[in-house]
Amino acid sequence: MKLDIHYRMHFRYSDPVTEAQNEVRVRPRDDDCQRVVSYRLASQPAAAVLQAVDYWGTVVEHLGVRTPHTEMELRAEASVETSPRPAPDGDADRSAVREPSFRDAYFEMLAASPHVRWSEGDAVARKARAAVDGADTFAMMVAAVIEDVRATLRYEPGSTEIGVSLAEILEGRAGVCQDYAHLAIGMMRSIGIPARYVSGYLFAADETALPEEAASPDDAPEAVSVQTHAWLEAAVPGWGWWALDPTNGGTVGERHVVIGCGRDYGDVPPVRGAFMGSGTADVDAEVVIGKRRSRDAFVYAPRRPADPAAGVVPQDAFWGQQQQQQQ
Amino acid sequence: MPSDRSDRVDGLLDGYLAGGAARRGYDEAFAADGSKRRIYRKIIDRFAELDTSEVERLEKLVADEFRRQGITFTVYSDDQGTERIWPMDLFPRLIAAAEWEHLARGLSQRVVALNCFLADLYSGEAQAVADGVLPRWVVLTSKGFERNAMGIAVPHGAHCNIAGIDVVRNAEGRFQVLEDNLRNPSGISYVIENRAAMAKACSWLFYDHPVAPTDNYGRMLRSTLDSMAPGGKDAPHVVVLTPGIYNSAYFEHAFLARAMGVELVEGRDLVVDGHTVYSRTIDGLVPVDVIYRRIDDGFLDPVAFRPDSTLGVPGLLGALRAGTVTVCNAIGNGVVDDKAVYPYVPELIRYYLGEAPIVDNVDTYMMWDPEQRSDALARLDQLVAKPAAESGGYGVLIGPHATEQELEQARAAIEADPRNWIVQELVQLSTLPSFAGESFEPRHLDLRPFVLTGERTEVFPGGLTRVAMREGSLIVNSSQGGGSKDTWVLSAAPEAPEGSEGSV
Repeated sequence: MKLDIHYRMHFRYSDPVTEAQNEVRVRPRDDDCQRVVSYRLASQPAAAVLQAVDYWGTVVEHLGVRTPHTEMELRAEASVETSPRPAPDGDADRSAVREPSFRDAYFEMLAASPHVRWSEGDAVARKARAAVDGADTFAMMVAAVIEDVRATLRYEPGSTEIGVSLAEILEGRAGVCQDYAHLAIGMMRSIGIPARYVSGYLFAADETALPEEAASPDDAPEAVSVQTHAWLEAAVPGWGWWALDPTNGGTVGERHVVIGCGRDYGDVPPVRGAFMGSGTADVDAEVVIGKRRSRDAFVYAPRRPADPAAGVVPQDAFWGQQQQQQQ
Repeated sequence: MPSDRSDRVDGLLDGYLAGGAARRGYDEAFAADGSKRRIYRKIIDRFAELDTSEVERLEKLVADEFRRQGITFTVYSDDQGTERIWPMDLFPRLIAAAEWEHLARGLSQRVVALNCFLADLYSGEAQAVADGVLPRWVVLTSKGFERNAMGIAVPHGAHCNIAGIDVVRNAEGRFQVLEDNLRNPSGISYVIENRAAMAKACSWLFYDHPVAPTDNYGRMLRSTLDSMAPGGKDAPHVVVLTPGIYNSAYFEHAFLARAMGVELVEGRDLVVDGHTVYSRTIDGLVPVDVIYRRIDDGFLDPVAFRPDSTLGVPGLLGALRAGTVTVCNAIGNGVVDDKAVYPYVPELIRYYLGEAPIVDNVDTYMMWDPEQRSDALARLDQLVAKPAAESGGYGVLIGPHATEQELEQARAAIEADPRNWIVQELVQLSTLPSFAGESFEPRHLDLRPFVLTGERTEVFPGGLTRVAMREGSLIVNSSQGGGSKDTWVLSAAPEAPEGSEGSV
């Protein structure tokens, strides 16, 4: 499927900012199931963009604006061709989770991470044990956890903020895509299934309801405005990473576009930054994604993000300590 | 070591050998039979001639000199929060030429291997891990392993440009490595100032000794840092980045900037524009090529690291990834300072260099290994426990000096978090005479030599000798109230003619 993605992030400051430095992770990655045909990131005010690849293999872009400004806009445009992601054709006995070489190879994706914390015998671990009761194989355990998370949580935009703990998610029984992903990852890791967080885009009007495949490209919605999306991948012994989307349906297909993955949200935030100034910042992010037709088809409609995607360090007299939103 | 039985010991050193309690270790000045070790003969004789009032006069001369020049340090744990005058004992520490040459080769070998390891790790290859030299999870759980350092180009693969390797002499007098410091080792300024103060107060001591000079460190460091400029640029712009005046080593940061003839800057003096670091000067923005930073990794750039850092330079990681600037030491060296990695260093030397380690580690037990842990905890009262991620002597428990309650607490802490503890055999550090108010008494000491690496690795002669201030104490860290001594590396001067005053 050919998809055009327009990502826009808008910063509005209450007082002029003299400098803003940002690290951006919004470029779709190239892999076996998706190919980036074109990509461009630009900012207003304009700034030079440096592209690098981080530890997790995600493209990270650095850009800094050093002219006084009260607004800044980041705009990324990508054309991507996707193909279906295969489900595993291999499986393993559930005892595979105890294999030392398997545990060593996936060590980072089995350990707790800042947004995915649990401990032996706590509510997350107990829930995971109960969920996989009766699952004989590795793939069945993975599917059981996804089912359990879907049955537990209610999708509620704006119900949580980044930084919420797994215990809080369980208590509130509601969340957005990050929360679904973090909870499922935590449950899997607690029973020895390596799991990693995926940041990306989903071509759907509503991230909980995947549209039916259109009969022909012409029937497809022209463009839908969505957020960056999150799902997860679980490692299957002898096969590899299996992508799953606990927020909708469970499966990951052509409509999912991967940016990158990491231990949790903190390793792949769309934007992380710092600015110098005395005011506060308002951040708006939106993604418009659609089947490729013509560029004119896309319109931007500002929308409050369900996942606040920018970390901002405002300043008082000096580089300040106050932190808004993520991390 | 040859000793001299014929000479008597007088004066303030008279009772030195009688103080049996502290004489369990190796004394560097006197052999076990009480005779003077040969290289110390003249020093001992000179000090034996002094009386209390003369020593006090010289000590005051040194202290006044340090006070005048503002040579101080800060003890964070001290309730007073006071800056203190740097304490130096007059009785110097001597190292014979051949012994120094051996030690320097060993330290150079160690730092070369550790640089190979850091380059291997942060290139993404991690061949040593793939080949099983050390476990992957130990690296991945190290607080000093910095994922943001991955893939950043480091000229010459020299991740550690300035290393401070702590060594001790064991009961047989043999040097062993106690601890590696590859992040921001401090102390070199005191080495240089100790020598300057000694030369002023006790110039008469130097006459018979060919002592390696210490006044060229600034030039050596400058040329090391110059060689780290991206693209091998000539006459690069180098700056020293300090956290500021409240840092315990601020004096040293200022000292080194002056010794190298470069700017001393704080984070707010630097700015990143178009992925290039600039220094704000009265002439406008001037591009910076090399930053000798004395702030921790986590504070370097609030965008990529701790968002609450007020000490760093926003956008610095982007400049590093662009390859327009070099940060020295490189980011992520803390993985080597992790004491859970230390036990693997001898293997890393064999792996990368195909050589046997020239200087040994102290015997160390890994607490994450259940067998080693239960053995070590059972006799913790004879061992030393150290938190893996700390430095500066913080959190160290010395078994024989600990109360039963302290031992219990340490055992519980280790059981709760075995990854982050190591336990070592107690090294009865060597001793030297130190003036203790009325006479010279044995005090334990260690040594921190400094190893510089740019295009090649060089060991600066001598290093910082630190002395425990209390009798029997094994804690020498200045952050824990230790003192220091001037360290003399004797050059291999030709043997003096028969009958004349020998040089060594």
